[in-house]
Amino acid sequence: MRVIRRYEYLVVKLLAVYKIYSKGKRCMIDIRHITKTYGKKKNVFTALKDINLQIKEGTSVAILGKSGSGKSTLMHAISGLDKPQQGEVLVGDKDILRLKPRATDKFRAREMGFIFQSFFVEGGETCYDNVSLALETAGVPRAGRKQRIIEALEAVDLGDKIKSRAKDLSGGQKQRLAVARAIVGRPKILFADEPTGNLDSTTSQVIEDLLFGYCKETEATLIIVTHDEDLAKRCQRIIYIKDGEVEKDSMSSRPVKSAKPSATKSPKKTTDKKTRSNTPARRAK
Amino acid sequence: MKTVDIIQRAGRNLRRAKMRTFLTSVAIAIGGFAIMASLMVGEGARQYVDRIIKSNLDPNALMIAKDKRVTSAQVNGGGEDGLTEYNPNSMTRNGRDYETLTTKDIEVLRKRNDIKQVEPSYQVQPKYITFSQSKKKKYVGQVMMRDNTLQMEVAAGKSVASGDALANGEAIIPEIYAEKLGKSAQEMVGSKLNLVVTQQPQQASAATIQQVYATKGDAGVQELLKGKTLSKPFTIVAVAKKSPDQISSPSSVYINAHDAKNLSEFSTVGTSAHRKYFYVLATVKHGTPEEVRDRLNGSGYHAATAQDIQGVIFTFINILQGIVLGFGLLALVVSVFGIINTMYISVLERTQQIGLMKALGASRRDIGRLFRYEAAWVGFLGGAFGVLSAWGIGTLINPSISKSLGLGDNSLLIFQPGVGATVVLALVLVAIVAGWLPSRKAAKLDPVEALRTE
Repeated sequence: MRVIRRYEYLVVKLLAVYKIYSKGKRCMIDIRHITKTYGKKKNVFTALKDINLQIKEGTSVAILGKSGSGKSTLMHAISGLDKPQQGEVLVGDKDILRLKPRATDKFRAREMGFIFQSFFVEGGETCYDNVSLALETAGVPRAGRKQRIIEALEAVDLGDKIKSRAKDLSGGQKQRLAVARAIVGRPKILFADEPTGNLDSTTSQVIEDLLFGYCKETEATLIIVTHDEDLAKRCQRIIYIKDGEVEKDSMSSRPVKSAKPSATKSPKKTTDKKTRSNTPARRAK
Repeated sequence: MKTVDIIQRAGRNLRRAKMRTFLTSVAIAIGGFAIMASLMVGEGARQYVDRIIKSNLDPNALMIAKDKRVTSAQVNGGGEDGLTEYNPNSMTRNGRDYETLTTKDIEVLRKRNDIKQVEPSYQVQPKYITFSQSKKKKYVGQVMMRDNTLQMEVAAGKSVASGDALANGEAIIPEIYAEKLGKSAQEMVGSKLNLVVTQQPQQASAATIQQVYATKGDAGVQELLKGKTLSKPFTIVAVAKKSPDQISSPSSVYINAHDAKNLSEFSTVGTSAHRKYFYVLATVKHGTPEEVRDRLNGSGYHAATAQDIQGVIFTFINILQGIVLGFGLLALVVSVFGIINTMYISVLERTQQIGLMKALGASRRDIGRLFRYEAAWVGFLGGAFGVLSAWGIGTLINPSISKSLGLGDNSLLIFQPGVGATVVLALVLVAIVAGWLPSRKAAKLDPVEALRTE
């Protein structure tokens, strides 16, 4: 009996440690040599040319560029929606381009949130069901959902529209609903593709405040794809994309493109280890 | 995604496209209705026949014949044989030759210890019948031997339970005879009837003819060669009721085996039909009817149990049912293409939704399942609608069908909940199969492409 008790105690303790560890696990994004082409042979169009980027967790990054510059493609590649022909995308310790499709989907459902220019809310469904979709894909048990959905809707000031159909909302409200859907799963990375492109300046302001507010509060990474320089300026870091290449990066003046894999690999690994070993310990105390 | 979530989401998607859902499921409902109706008719007919057989045939009874066609082809007609070998023991009926049982066969059968009450089928063909209640006219009717194992519903007279035998000189007439004579059933009971049978002219030797001629003259010889007539009186003890459970409502005079034998022998003397029988009826003494049947078949006879005879009738019902079922299946095939078409359009319409779901981390499998479950919902709605309407319409029109077909209290359309549920389930599966192709298309959709669609 005693032995069993002791084991039980050990298991419980291990579980607790693991929980803290997994909570504290950071989602640093490391993009290496991403190349994406469309078409074949003579008609090849290269959308992304050997892109290398590192995005620290908790930062807000704007990917700025004109339409057709490849900024959306870059976002799709980072989120694993699109598969570039070459390169790797490490999020935390996972190369999401090498994961099995189901694992990528699962990862996206649990760790990422999305906001689009044209909202993509389901008009015929209620606000509640729209937000619920994100929790359903993430596999959150039914019991825990209601509370979280209501909280998310209240966070975007749509607490009184829970039962309303999405098609009855105004444009700004629809985008707020999309924000609620993006944050309800408490993602560590939030992607916003021209989030204010279809909105007037006042409602844009509201959406921007919501996005930055969420990321500040939860220390989540925010990646905004936009051609709006004013919006980009609110971010901590701006990456300029032109013709599928990083033209300028506000973080470093040195051209990121030439960074060698060996040079980025070794320092990254050490930092990674540090954060890994540090975080649980810090939290445990 | 959890299955419950997908099912709910599929249900909501359909609710939003009410008209489309309704129209698609109507196609399935028509197929479901036809299939259910055919199953209901089949079941009704089967139960009806079952009841008929039970009240007309003793489960332990065996029908034994020498000719295979008597026990099998009698009911369903059989094929034409053309030229057949001559057999002195054969007899013609309905233009066809059948090998018959002889008295020797009867003796052999009576000696067996696994059957009892071996009774040949005596064919009595009266020339005419007269009734004491209607003295002036002569009638033509059938005469049958009463099967003592069966109960008979009577309109008047003494009750005839299973096992009750008629005494010599007693007869039962059907209700329609009383109606024809314009008398009530009660009036007929106790009155008399005469069965008049004739005998074929007997061959006489020249010596006999000379002898008769010598004693009685020309008239005597004519009398000798004319053929004899026998008029046998019977007392009507009961009038059989018209019953929907009878194979055909009783239409012949019933007499006992002894009388039937006498009349039959009298009328067949000198003909090829004398003491030859199409079949004999017997009752199983030991073992199951099937065992005894197989043993009899092994020893040169052809026997059929009550169940075999039932089976022959069922074949006929099954064919009829198959035709209706075929139409139902045809309707179902059409509805399958209806589903495929509708779902395909739905996938194209909802590219954006699919793209968004994929961006939110729904797997290919989830998307595929969403569309398959939508198809399943359509199948369920259509199936339930079709089956329930078959039930409802069946219940509504049953009384008038029974009335027009003279089935009495029997219903032709019988709804079984289990069968109904199975049909619905089968339709759901069919719908899922139909939704497979569109769902695959949805699952394969490139999310990036889908999100670009405006």
